[in-house]
Amino acid sequence: MDAENRIHAASKFLLQSPPGEINDVLNDVRNIISDDESLQTGILPALREYNLAQFITAEVPGHQHQCIVSEAARVQQAGGEGDEEQQDRFWDPRSRTSFRFDHLALEASDLEPIEPDADSEPFRLALENSSLTYLSAHFHDGVAAVFSTQGNPDRFIIQVVANKYNPSNFWSGRWRSEYIVNLNERTLEGKILVNVHYYEQGNVQLSTSHTVSLELPQTISAENATASASKVLAIVETEESKYQTSLNEAYQDMGEKTFKGLRRALPMTRAKMDWDKVLGYKLGQELSASKGGFAAA
Amino acid sequence: MADLVDSMLDLMRRLPPTHVEENVAALVGMCPDYADDLLGSVDQPLKAMVDRTAGREYLACDYNRDGESYRSPWSNEYDPPLDDGTVPSAKLRKLEVVANEAFDTYREMYFEGGVSSVYLWDLEDSGFAGVVLLKKSLTSSSLSEPSGAWDSIHVFEVAERGRQAHYKLTSTIMLSMVDRGVAQNSKEDKVEAKRDGEVTLSGSMTRQTEQDHSLQDQNSHITNIGRMIEDMEIKMRNLLQEVYFGKTRDVVFDLRSLEDLEKARRQRELQKELVGLIKR
Repeated sequence: MDAENRIHAASKFLLQSPPGEINDVLNDVRNIISDDESLQTGILPALREYNLAQFITAEVPGHQHQCIVSEAARVQQAGGEGDEEQQDRFWDPRSRTSFRFDHLALEASDLEPIEPDADSEPFRLALENSSLTYLSAHFHDGVAAVFSTQGNPDRFIIQVVANKYNPSNFWSGRWRSEYIVNLNERTLEGKILVNVHYYEQGNVQLSTSHTVSLELPQTISAENATASASKVLAIVETEESKYQTSLNEAYQDMGEKTFKGLRRALPMTRAKMDWDKVLGYKLGQELSASKGGFAAA
Repeated sequence: MADLVDSMLDLMRRLPPTHVEENVAALVGMCPDYADDLLGSVDQPLKAMVDRTAGREYLACDYNRDGESYRSPWSNEYDPPLDDGTVPSAKLRKLEVVANEAFDTYREMYFEGGVSSVYLWDLEDSGFAGVVLLKKSLTSSSLSEPSGAWDSIHVFEVAERGRQAHYKLTSTIMLSMVDRGVAQNSKEDKVEAKRDGEVTLSGSMTRQTEQDHSLQDQNSHITNIGRMIEDMEIKMRNLLQEVYFGKTRDVVFDLRSLEDLEKARRQRELQKELVGLIKR
């Protein structure tokens, strides 16, 4: 396998990292590749892709809250295509700051103030306030962010991420959800992704995906920002709570139907197998069969 | 370079169990010199093959492989055929035949279906080793019915000491379940809605045990190993149930609470105030 293919294989491993374990995977990959120089430059695209897809959170220097680094948070600038400096600029609408993000160190630097779009900012801010209220009502340790869309003042993206890492007890988990609100088309497109890794003397993973698309009620409009935003988040809350309840049902289904159907806890007889009898019976049968053979001869 | 193998094994402990085959293949491609170490230490889902001579299914794994061929426990033949394929000694093959029959009964009692295979091989200095394989799959016939697969791999080593034998058992169970019927549309929906989704629970757990048991004849090995494997599977089934349906679910509910946390907080504060009032 040549160097390029090895980096490609390493990148695929990184993209599969369980929540909070990218550094462990990176350490393993480093040891396997044992060529830090080609690795460092080669895996940057994979790290970027992983961070954006996983809604990695970042501290914004000088602010008390965390923000989300994702595709929706990327600062769109004309003519910046292909330029890495531009590719890795993200913004935190809550603090009205843009920053450069280091995908390996997971640090924000080179802060710049950013002026929000006057047309969409009132509704975005209303969604942000409602999202933060929702976040504190249902997530122990979550981060939420609301982004407006450049060139479309009627389109907003709500993102939520919650992480729990517990390496000393060998488990980690991540909840991600994203909702695209379109006021013009009156639609809400959402997805929820949950990943759990349990790895004490084993490797057990839960991976779930859920998509929903629904129509927004007539009453929701940009003019009526505060009430509309809280209505949108009420829909999100209902959807997520319903999903969590149905996950419970899936657990029950898999436990009652699949798990029991794969292997019984005990045989039908409700007793463990009688190994002496199983072997003795077989031996007895063989014995009488060979006796019969002799008698016939 | 034990270091490198450790890194590969750590990696396999972290990457999604649903992709174990392609990830092992990628690692073998990256480090071909360590292919044997890796293939010998990472358990992969068992493949069912058909023994045309015996007209029944058997399980293929690294332990009944010689080159590109796999040996069937029923006919003792390799597929594709090998003239000089490794086979157990005549004495051990006799035990292998009896073991396959016994574990076929065990499979029927606990799995009520599926496939089982037992392979034995002579150890260089003395004694022998073997592997008991069990596999059962459930395919879903409708959306509301989850699909799943159970693979047991029990590897053991036997050292005879007069009328006693020492057994070392390493058991791995791979279990995966997929539910595609989660959160379908309900009649309660007031507005037009479309939903789709999937829940996958997959993975493996490994446990080891060492025990001494007495011997009457060669077949005692099968009753001894049989009981050890039966006890281990019962123990591990409980463990899997706890981890799959208990621990992973608890983490989900640790991430997001169904109850309104703010309401609970306010209630606690109110309670504190009331307690304060009473004390005054």
